[in-house]
Amino acid sequence: MGHCSEAVGADEVAHSLKTALSKRSDACLVSAGCDGACFAAPQVIVTHASNLQQRHTRVTLADVPALVRSLDESHSRCTTESDVEAFFNAQHRRLLSCCGSIDPGSIAEYVSIGGYGSLALALSMSPEEVIQTVQDAGLLGRGGAYFPAARKWQGARSFNAPVRYLVVNAEEGEPGIFKDRHIMEGDPHLLLEGMLIAAYASGASQAYVYVNAEANLSAERMESAIEQAREAGYIGDDIMGSGFGLQVSLRRGAGGYVCGEETTLLDTIQGNRREPRLRPPFPVESGLFQMPTVINNVETLANVPLIFSDGATRPTTPDDGSDQLAFRQQLTPFTELGLESAKGTKMVCLSGAVRRPGLGEVPMGATIRDIVFNIGGGPPPGRNLGVIGVGGPSSGVLPPSELDTPLQPGMLHPSGVVMGAGGIMVMDDQAPVIDVVRRLAAYNASESCGKCTPCREGTPRIVQALDRVAAGGGAETIDELRYLADIVGAGSLCGLGQMAGGPVNSALHFFGDALEV
Amino acid sequence: MERSELRPILRQKFPRERTYLLPALHYVQHELGNLPEWALQTVAWHLRVPPSEVYGCATSYSELRIESTGAHLIRVCTGLSCWHSGGQSLMDKLSRELSISPGETSPDGRFTLEEVPCGFICPLAPALEVDGKWQGRIATEHIPSLVANLG
Repeated sequence: MGHCSEAVGADEVAHSLKTALSKRSDACLVSAGCDGACFAAPQVIVTHASNLQQRHTRVTLADVPALVRSLDESHSRCTTESDVEAFFNAQHRRLLSCCGSIDPGSIAEYVSIGGYGSLALALSMSPEEVIQTVQDAGLLGRGGAYFPAARKWQGARSFNAPVRYLVVNAEEGEPGIFKDRHIMEGDPHLLLEGMLIAAYASGASQAYVYVNAEANLSAERMESAIEQAREAGYIGDDIMGSGFGLQVSLRRGAGGYVCGEETTLLDTIQGNRREPRLRPPFPVESGLFQMPTVINNVETLANVPLIFSDGATRPTTPDDGSDQLAFRQQLTPFTELGLESAKGTKMVCLSGAVRRPGLGEVPMGATIRDIVFNIGGGPPPGRNLGVIGVGGPSSGVLPPSELDTPLQPGMLHPSGVVMGAGGIMVMDDQAPVIDVVRRLAAYNASESCGKCTPCREGTPRIVQALDRVAAGGGAETIDELRYLADIVGAGSLCGLGQMAGGPVNSALHFFGDALEV
Repeated sequence: MERSELRPILRQKFPRERTYLLPALHYVQHELGNLPEWALQTVAWHLRVPPSEVYGCATSYSELRIESTGAHLIRVCTGLSCWHSGGQSLMDKLSRELSISPGETSPDGRFTLEEVPCGFICPLAPALEVDGKWQGRIATEHIPSLVANLG
C-alpha cells in the first residue's frame, strides 16, 4: 500500500481484507509499500506457508470475498500475471528488492533479513575507511547533480566545527518524480541505515529528514521507523556501543519545486523564505545554521547499506579458501553494475502513454528504449510513441528517434537533456510538442522564487515567446526564444533557472522545423 | 481553536526558535485550514520573528494558505502525464459542473477548485485530490457523481 495505490482504493481493500481475515487464525495481513508496479495497483500478494505466491492485481472491494475463499484452495504453483512478470523481469532491482515484500512498519522484519548489518560493519571501520569504501564504489548523488557522495562526506569532515549536520533531501517536489516516496513508504529502514552510515562517515551528530509537504504516507512511515530505530538503539547516543551518536528529526516542506534545491532546503529548515543561497560557501563548509552540512538524496543514501552488504567490489578469492566473506562471491557488487562513469542502478519514474507505468530500477546506462518498451510495454494499443519528457520539468524532450540514448550523468543530449532525478514521461504522437514544452516552461516560470533576475524575468518571457511561436511567430521569435533560454541558463542563481532552458533548447533542436511553421 | 488558545499551545509545542517557523505554520494550518492574520501574528510573537517576515515566509510556500478555502477543496493535477491522459478535460468538466474557474471558490463557499502541477501518482493518471485524498484513474464520467457525493 503506497501513496499511489491508496488513490485507487487500496486502503478500502485493506480494511475489508482485515475484517474478513480477523476471524481466521491461519492468515495475517501486512500493509507493504508499493513494489513499483503502480499500473497493477491495488495489488494483493498472497504468500502461502509453502512460500508459493499469488499476485492479484487491480483488486476491488468486490473481489475481496472470492480472494479470501481462494486461500483455502490448494495451490501447486506460483501465479503471476504475465504483464507484471514482464515489468519486473526487465529490471535489475537492488534498492527496490524489498519494497512491497517487507512490512515497512516492522524493524524486526528489516533486521531479520540482515538489516542494520551494514551499519555494524561500517561502525567497526574508521570513518575514513567508510568514506574510502564508498569512494571506491564510485557512488554518485541520485538527486540529479550526480556529485560523488564520498567527497561531500570528506568535505564536511575536513572542516572543524562544534557540530556537523546531515540533511536527507526527501523533498522530491519535481512533477513526474515519485521514487524517493516509494523507498520511504516501502523500505524506510534502508534509508535510515544509509543515513546512519553517512552521518558516521561525515562526523554529523544531528540529522534532518526533510520530507515533501504532500508526501504524508512517507512522513508517517519514516516517523514510525525513526521511533522504532530509536527504541532499538540504532538512533541515539553510543549506537551499538561504538561511541557514535546521532539524533534524527523529521521536517516537512511546504511546497515548491525550489525547496528541493539544497541551499533553499537549508533556509527552509532555518525558518526563512524559500530562496537559494549564493555559493560559495558550499554547504559542506557553511550549511545549516552556518555549520558543515552534508545533503544527500534519499536514493543516494539507500544505496549505501547495499555497498556494505553486497560489497563495493568483488573480493578476490583467497588462496586457502577460508575467507569468511566467501559468500560475497554470490552477490553482485555495486561496481559491477552500471557504467564506468556511473556505477550501480537508477530508479526511473515511468508515466504517460505506456502500457505499464510505474517505478522501475535499471543499471546505469540502460537505454530509454529499455525503459519505455521492456519495462513499460510501449505505447498502449492503437497509439504511437511521440515526445518523451526526460528528467524533470527543467530537463528536456526527446523524439522517438533518440530511444537508444543511454541513461547517464551529465548530458543525455548536448541540447540540454539530462537524466535529472530519473523521470520518463511518455507522450503519444497526438501531443503537439509546443504544448508539451509550454507546459514545462509555464511550470518553471510559476515556480521561480524571484530572488535572481534572469530566472524571475526570463522564465515568464520564455512562456510568452512560446505563445507567439504557437501563434505563428516565425524565425524571429525562434531566435528570441533561443536567446532567452541561453540567458536564463547562464545567469541564474540555482539549478531551477540554470536548467529552465532545457525544454526549449531540446525542442528547438529536435523539433525546430515543426515549431517554425 | 479559539484565538486565546493558540499562545499556550505554541508555548507547549514549539521552542522559541526561528527554525520552528514552518512546523508552527504547518500546525496552525492543520488546525484552522488556513493562516489568518491573527494566527501569523501569534506565531511571530511566540518565535520572536518580525510579523512581516512571518508573512513573507507564509506567502512564499505554495502549500501554505492565507485565504480560507471552500468547504470542499478539489485539486486537479495538470502535470505532463495527467494532462496527457485527460487531466485538462477533468478540470474543464469540474469547472463547468461547479461554475467556477480554477483558483476560485464558489459564491456559496462550498467548493474551491485548484490546479496542481503534480500529485506524484503519475502512473495513475489522470488524478485529482478531494479534501486531502488523492484519487487516480479518474474519467470525466466520474465527475458528476463525485461532486454529488460531496453534498
